[in-house]
Amino acid sequence: MKEFALYTGCTTPVRLPAYEASVKIVLEKLGIRLTLMKDANCCGAQYVESLSHTAFCAMSGRVIALAESMNLDVLAICGACSGSLKTVKHDLDNNPKLCAEVNELLAEEGLKYTGTSEVKHLLQIFREDIGYEAIKSAIVKPYSGLRLAAHYGCHVTRPPEIVKVDDAENPTIIDRIIELAGATAVDYTGKTRCCGGPMLAMDADVATRIGLDKIKNIREEDVDGIITACEFCDIQLTQVQFDDLAEQGVSKIPVIPLPQFLGPALGINFDKLGIYLNKIDPKTILQKV
Amino acid sequence: MTKNEVKEKPAVSHTPSSDFAKEVEQEYGGEGIMKCIQCGMCTASCMVASMTDRYRPRQLIQKILLGKREEVLTSDLPWLCMTCRLCEERCQEDVNLSEIFHAVREIAAREGHIPKVFQSTVDQVLEDGWLLKDAYSDFIEEDREDLGLDTDLNWNDEFVKKVKKRYLSGGNKK
Repeated sequence: MKEFALYTGCTTPVRLPAYEASVKIVLEKLGIRLTLMKDANCCGAQYVESLSHTAFCAMSGRVIALAESMNLDVLAICGACSGSLKTVKHDLDNNPKLCAEVNELLAEEGLKYTGTSEVKHLLQIFREDIGYEAIKSAIVKPYSGLRLAAHYGCHVTRPPEIVKVDDAENPTIIDRIIELAGATAVDYTGKTRCCGGPMLAMDADVATRIGLDKIKNIREEDVDGIITACEFCDIQLTQVQFDDLAEQGVSKIPVIPLPQFLGPALGINFDKLGIYLNKIDPKTILQKV
Repeated sequence: MTKNEVKEKPAVSHTPSSDFAKEVEQEYGGEGIMKCIQCGMCTASCMVASMTDRYRPRQLIQKILLGKREEVLTSDLPWLCMTCRLCEERCQEDVNLSEIFHAVREIAAREGHIPKVFQSTVDQVLEDGWLLKDAYSDFIEEDREDLGLDTDLNWNDEFVKKVKKRYLSGGNKK
C-alpha cells in the first residue's frame, strides 16, 4: 500500500472540510494510505511569495522537509499549495546557495531539506499511483446520462515543465475519471482559464466577472455539474453563482471536488463524503449514480 | 540585408530612461524580461485584461523595458497579475511574466510599496503560521467532527516568526 504525507493547506480544513474528508476516504478505498502532516505551516503562496522569494522558499521548504522527516512523499490537494511546493522544490534542488540558506533556518528545529521527498497533486495520485485501470475496476455504481465539465485549476497544471501533472493546454485526467465513472466529459470554451480566485484580494469585482465568464461558457454546453481539483477553484466557482452579478432566473450549476464525485460510484455513502455540506445541492448529479 | 544583419538588430531599439529592466533582470525570477518582443499575446490571453482596462500585461512589460521605475513600483499594476500563467503557456519567446511581476513586487516591497491587502495577509500568516485562524469557528469544528476529521488543526506558528524576523521585518532584506 502506498503512503503519502497529506498536506491540507490552510483553506481546505476550514472552508471545504468535505473535500478533505472525501480525499481521505476515496484514496483509502483505492489503496492509498494518508498520514496527516502535523505541525506544518502555510506554504506562503501568493502573499509571502510576492514579498520575499527567500521567505517563500523557507516556508514551502519546511513543509517538504517535514515530509522528509516522515520518510514520505507529499500529497497536496490545493492548486496553490501544490504549485508552491513544486516550484520551491525545483528552486531548492537547483540552487545550492538558496538550499543552504533555508537549511540554516530549518536546522534550528532539527529539520533538513535534502530533496528526497516528491510533491504530488491529487490528480497525479489518481493517474500515477492508482491508475485508470484500478479506478475502472473499483467502480461499483456507475453514473449514467450525466454531462460534466472539468475545471483543472491554473496552479495544478502550470507551469507544466515544473509541476508535471498533465498536458497544460489539453489536460485530460479529470475528464478520463469522469468517463470511467460512467458520465460524459464535456469540453467548453476557455477550459484552461482561471476561476478568478487569485484576483479576489486586489479586485473582487474583476475576480467575480472572471468566474462568471467561466460559468457562462460551461452553461452553454448544458452540463449537470462542474468537477474541480482545488478547493480555491471549487469555492470560487460556487460563490460567484450567488453574486449579484450572476445571471438571474437560472438554476445554479453544482460544483463538486473530484473525490466527492467519484466516491458514490465507488459505493461510498454520501454522508461520509460530506455532500450535505455542499452550498449548491448536487442531487441532480448524485441521483444519476 | 543578409541573414546575420537581421539577427543582430535588437528587438528593442530605443533608449530606456533608466536601468530598471536590467535591475529586474538581476532579481530572482526577472531573468527573462529582455526576451519580450512586445507581440501582445499575453494581453490577448489575459482574463484580467479581458475584464478591466486597468491592466495590460504587455503594456506593463513595456513600461519596465522603457525604464519607468517609479511609475511601475508605486502602482498597483504588478500586483494585478493572477499568476495563472495562461500567457506564459502561449508566449512564443518563453517570457515568464508571472515570475517577472513577482520580481517587480519584491523590489516594490523592499521600498515599502505593498498593497494593504498583501501586507495585512502576510502579517497574519507570519503571526499565526497559517491563513485562516480567525475564520476557524466552533461551527466549522463541529462539521469536522461530524466528518471524522481532526479538530485540532495543529499549525506551527514558531517557524513563521523566525522567517519574519530574518526576511520581512522592517521591509525585506533578501
